[in-house]
Amino acid sequence: MSNLIKEKQDELKELLPGQHSYTSLDDQIGSLILDNKRHPKVWYLFVAFGFIGANILLMSIAWLVFQGIGIWGNNQPVGWGFDIINFVWWIGIGHAGTLISAVLLLVRQQWRNSINRFAEAMTIFAVMCAGLYPLLHTGRPWVAYWLFPYPNILAMWPQFRSPLIWDVFAVTTYITISALFWFIGLIPDFATMRDKTKHPIASRIWAALALGWRGSAKHWHRYEQAYLILAGLSTPLVLSVHSIVSLDFAVSIVPGWNVTVFPPYFVAGAVFAGFAMVLTFAIPLRKWYGLHDLITDKHLDWMAKIMLTTGLIVFYGYLSEVFYAWYSGVIWEQALIQNRFFGPYAAAFWALWLCNGIIPQILWFPKARKNVVVLFVVSQFISVGMWLERFVIIPMSLHRDYLPSSWGMYTPTFWDFSFFFGTIGFFIMLMFLFFRFVPVINIFEMKDLLFKKLESKEDGHAAPVPVGGKGGE
Amino acid sequence: MNETTETLNLAEVREKLAGKSGRAYWRSLEEVAETPEFQAWVDDEFPNRSSLMQLDRRSLLKYMGASMMLAGLGGCRSLVLPNAKLVPYVNRPEELVNGEVLHFATGFALNGVTTGIVVESHFGRPTKIEGNPNHPFSLGSSDSFMQASVLNMYDPDRTKGVAKKGITTGWDGFLTEARGWIKSFEATKGAGFAILMESTGSPSLIAEVEKVRQEMPNAIIATWEPAARDNVYQGAAMAFGKPLETIYDLSDARVILSLDSDFLGSMPGWVKYAKDWAKGRNVDGDPSKMSRLYAAEAAPTLTGAVADHRMPMSMVELENFTRALAVELGIAVDFVVLNEVVTKQVKAIAADLQSKPGQVIVIPGEFVSAEVHALCHAINGKLGAVGKCVRYHSAAVYMAGQQGESLKALMAAINAGEIKFLLALGGNPVFNAPADLKFAEALKKVEHTAHLSMHLDETSKVCDWHLAESHALEAWGDGRGLDGTVTLSQPLIDPLYDTKSAWEVLRAVRPSMNSARDSHELLMEMYQAKGMTEAAWRNALNEGVVPNTATPPVAAVAQSVASKLGKAPVAKADLEILLRPDPTIFDGRFANNGWLQELPKPLTTITWDNTVQISPKLAESMGLASGDEVEVTTADGKVRGAVWIFPGQAERTVTVHFGYGRDMRETLVADGTGFNAYVLQNSNSPFLHSGSITKTGGKLMVASTQMHHYLEGRDIVREETLDEFLHGGHHEKHHHKDISMFPKQEDEFPYEGPQWGMTIDLNVCTGCHACVTACQAENNIPVVGKDQVMKGREMHWIRIDRYYGTKDMGELGGRKPERADLDNPSTHFMPLACMHCEAAPCEPVCPVAATVHSHEGLNQMVYNRCVGTRYCSNNCPYKVRRFNFFNYNDRKFSDFKLLDGEKSSRDLRVRLMVNNPEVTVRGRGVMEKCTYCVQRINQARIHAKNEAAKGRREKPDPKEGEIITACQQACPTGAIVFGNVADKSSQVSRLKAVKRNYSLIEELNTKNRTTYLTKLRNPNKELENA
Repeated sequence: MSNLIKEKQDELKELLPGQHSYTSLDDQIGSLILDNKRHPKVWYLFVAFGFIGANILLMSIAWLVFQGIGIWGNNQPVGWGFDIINFVWWIGIGHAGTLISAVLLLVRQQWRNSINRFAEAMTIFAVMCAGLYPLLHTGRPWVAYWLFPYPNILAMWPQFRSPLIWDVFAVTTYITISALFWFIGLIPDFATMRDKTKHPIASRIWAALALGWRGSAKHWHRYEQAYLILAGLSTPLVLSVHSIVSLDFAVSIVPGWNVTVFPPYFVAGAVFAGFAMVLTFAIPLRKWYGLHDLITDKHLDWMAKIMLTTGLIVFYGYLSEVFYAWYSGVIWEQALIQNRFFGPYAAAFWALWLCNGIIPQILWFPKARKNVVVLFVVSQFISVGMWLERFVIIPMSLHRDYLPSSWGMYTPTFWDFSFFFGTIGFFIMLMFLFFRFVPVINIFEMKDLLFKKLESKEDGHAAPVPVGGKGGE
Repeated sequence: MNETTETLNLAEVREKLAGKSGRAYWRSLEEVAETPEFQAWVDDEFPNRSSLMQLDRRSLLKYMGASMMLAGLGGCRSLVLPNAKLVPYVNRPEELVNGEVLHFATGFALNGVTTGIVVESHFGRPTKIEGNPNHPFSLGSSDSFMQASVLNMYDPDRTKGVAKKGITTGWDGFLTEARGWIKSFEATKGAGFAILMESTGSPSLIAEVEKVRQEMPNAIIATWEPAARDNVYQGAAMAFGKPLETIYDLSDARVILSLDSDFLGSMPGWVKYAKDWAKGRNVDGDPSKMSRLYAAEAAPTLTGAVADHRMPMSMVELENFTRALAVELGIAVDFVVLNEVVTKQVKAIAADLQSKPGQVIVIPGEFVSAEVHALCHAINGKLGAVGKCVRYHSAAVYMAGQQGESLKALMAAINAGEIKFLLALGGNPVFNAPADLKFAEALKKVEHTAHLSMHLDETSKVCDWHLAESHALEAWGDGRGLDGTVTLSQPLIDPLYDTKSAWEVLRAVRPSMNSARDSHELLMEMYQAKGMTEAAWRNALNEGVVPNTATPPVAAVAQSVASKLGKAPVAKADLEILLRPDPTIFDGRFANNGWLQELPKPLTTITWDNTVQISPKLAESMGLASGDEVEVTTADGKVRGAVWIFPGQAERTVTVHFGYGRDMRETLVADGTGFNAYVLQNSNSPFLHSGSITKTGGKLMVASTQMHHYLEGRDIVREETLDEFLHGGHHEKHHHKDISMFPKQEDEFPYEGPQWGMTIDLNVCTGCHACVTACQAENNIPVVGKDQVMKGREMHWIRIDRYYGTKDMGELGGRKPERADLDNPSTHFMPLACMHCEAAPCEPVCPVAATVHSHEGLNQMVYNRCVGTRYCSNNCPYKVRRFNFFNYNDRKFSDFKLLDGEKSSRDLRVRLMVNNPEVTVRGRGVMEKCTYCVQRINQARIHAKNEAAKGRREKPDPKEGEIITACQQACPTGAIVFGNVADKSSQVSRLKAVKRNYSLIEELNTKNRTTYLTKLRNPNKELENA
């Protein structure tokens, strides 16, 4: 029993090292908003970069709506190219946020507290980027609302058998729940900011956002109930959203798409990609803002372990596709694998295996997991690899399907790249604005951790941690 | 309401009832009580009730005033909207019923030979051309040129009037001057006057030219057309002493040898020949009577592609092959022994030809030498084919066999400075006269030049006068078919612009003529003078042919040709450069026709370009890849173009198609396509040159619609030999077993009424692409341009896949092609449009239900509902769906070319006139595909319903044969059959019941309504084992 307590203490120490008081936590996190000087020059650089990207995105959208899908590289037989690759890629990136927020909350993983806020922000921004694609990849985006079940005089419903309709429900649910979850989690911190700020206008804005939060027992009670319910709602989303996205492919009869293993393998891939993106932001963030006390090596280590696990699941998926092509004896599947191995886009396929299959194996070594440079580089490879995975699945399956006469090639155009680059810029801009204007780490949860740390020091007992993990002051 | 019951004061209710006067009704006690609660409930339930009641007088007047004012705004309509008028007919034109289509018979002339056509007219607007079933060389079928010729009329680049050196003057200006010049020639009996025409067989035009000859015997009359069949007529002249027309009857032929002839794809009369050939290939009756086709040729043709044995050889080898064959058959001529293989082939073929006397034909192509033609006449005579499978008629065109000579004579006169006035009626000699004649330079020596054409083309630009020519659908005229059958041409529409036909110009320029006479009257008078009654005239117009005008067959016996043939030719060290008319834009006259530019060349699938076609071996030895730029050099000139490696091309030959490389920068379509091969041409031997090619190192982009040419071992095109077919084909084993985890359901969907289905007989499909153009014309399919084709975005609803196979038919495509197969592969065509799957994979994936199934089994596209996710296309295993990536129908071609201001400002609305009003024009962002010509189905159904309502038929369903899809109608060989599969007696049902019937990729269980019939080959065993 005492071992357990010891472990708990150690864990808390690892999660919140350093000599922190409640005030120092407020200051360290809150001052990111209140004190402009805490933002390094690089912040301006990234916001500017993101701003340019966002403008490129706007231009790409305007030209697309004006001209038509023809400005992209999509063709016959490759009806989906960058549009759906990037949609799936962005949706996948969002997954880490949900996993951290909901699943880790429910299984009482306290280490999530320092990263959940910005992982959730990442989710929302990534889903925003993702959502642009299915909307704008339609030939007539001005009638894309027909995909929603809305009352109309034609008494015309969407066609519910289509996986794209399931997508509509999955993604809209996802963004709604994620946004609510994020906002509710922010309310106590908005209240903290309202109390800290001296700027009259800022204080009004914070007050409005805090929705009259006073930290009363009733508030905390209600808050925890709401948060827990939303966590419960989000948890299935971790599995459902990407499963449904994978059904866009699995339900079809295109060789390379019609694969039953897709739902679990897409979910694993999404978590894999999501954590890579969290690390991509967490590592520079903690360096630039000196948040080593809050985002510790232990956090990075855990995230690396999750990446390793999900990476292995994904790689298993790749291998099983090859195995089943051979085992099934279906010529279409065999031709598909042959095309992946030796076809005109074989380089993309082998790069995928390198990025997602081989390179992440370095994370077996504890030293690698502790080395931020290695972690950062591996994360980049995984992000690229997950993009390549969608490239391999989507255009590489479509470009050579049943009839050799219809085989073609897919070449993305300038506007494909500009749109993709634009979403990346838009995402970066939103992330850095978020660092500047929203508490980037959950202040009150960190205080809660601190409370537990102090408690356990005083009487040698770990304080009971309620589900949801927030005491209250 | 319940709550109020408790407080209801019954006494009060009684009181209220008592107080009412007259008879009162009430539904509830609350109503009588008129409690405030009841009032509130009523107001809540019927919110509109109170507002009107409560409206006071002032408000009412205010609202009324405002309403009247707003109503008055309607009068301002013309300020904001165009003020359109609808005016009904006061006197309805005869035969014109709103919404009903009219059909008129007329003629289409190409290369001087006229074929009967039937033109569909919507409210006086011709939109679609079909073959005329009454015409012996159409029999209801058509080719791509006929189909697409209607688009030429609506070409926005057509010139709109007469211009002198670019300044519009109108016809009077020209006629005044021209008559003056011609008058000045009267003294010299026409010396100084020259007329240059295209090939023609038109009796009216020929009569007029003959009159000119009489009036002005010293005038020079020349005809020139790049694809003129001089060799054919000269060969006949060699054999018979006069240039006879040779006509083949393939329906009874059992063994056919084609000598570089494309009688199934481009030779004049090929539509009928293909139809007859298909009859001979029919195995559903007596399979043992299936014909056998041998083809010896240099460049692959459609005929070679469907031949049972194809023998690639150069033109010199071909002549020696023919000579060897003649010797084998007992005609003594000189020949060079080629090699063992050829000797064996010659022996086997000769034996085969001799085994079926009278039922065999040897057909030489239009571009082989006159010597080979003469020899073939002798061979056909020897084989007893003449009078049976081969008939001779008098020549169908004017000045047969002398066109090249007449042009040379004209050039000589011009260069001698003898010509004062050259009147060029059609044609485009500056562009297409052989390079050695230097036509453009010579033209400067002529004092006055005038050129009649539809465009301001190369010749018009250098002539003083440009005269705008009428399209054939705008003018009266006539023409002769290959066998002499006369077809009357009637205009379908008043000339769109200030134009005249060649016949009209020739009448108008002569001072002796009364130019005020109407062409219609003149033509009628001319025929009436030949003894035609007015009723007969009307009948001839209606039927499209003048009865009994085919020239009688001439009993001709080939004279001894041996002495005229001379020595056998010997191969030269240089490459043979073969010049041929382009398969889709012909000699260049269709260069500005988008449908034909975008029509894939049947064998190479190239669009928008001509290429230098070379053999795989030559490419290997020179290190060339398709798309590499090369320079082709002959004695007369050189030109640069992209190389295309053409499997099956004879090793030391290079084929170059002429017609491209038009100098028409101001046009929307023709500009910038291909290279001009006429610069290589020599007038002494226009189709065969010796020359060389050299690699320049450049790379050119060629837009081909098919990138992959092998079947990869997939069971897609099925082929077997006649033997295998007769003794249980090897495809029996392919028969798919329906394996499903679900219990078998017989009627998953209760289909009612007629069920539409189609069969495509691969055995008789020659890959001619007539169906593709017919579909494009019928269904308003847009032309997308070369850059879009290169991206794989062509819009054709029906396409013809062309696969190369290996020789070993047992494992069709099952192994990787070897060298030998590349040099002479088997070729397979497969027309592919929407399969109308009963379990269509496209339908369940559409998120908005824009593609749905009809109860008659049609897979329908609802364009209005489509949002354009393209998911349906991804999920279509046959990839037959087409997406409007841009607004192709409204997109100017110049948009593809950096927004050329001058071009994009052109009024393109005239092009819209070609659209079929029965078919929706699709906008940007929607998916489209084959509909089984649903508009034709609906028309037939309306007709059937009317008939049923009048009691003329039992069921309101279309009958067999009442619905013919556009592709089916065009198909010369009848490979495409459409009909009701629910009716077991229909032709399509009968075909679906034959052993050869199979469904494409059946294991996907999509239950295709379109099925295929296995292709059969009838090889000669002796050659097969070689």
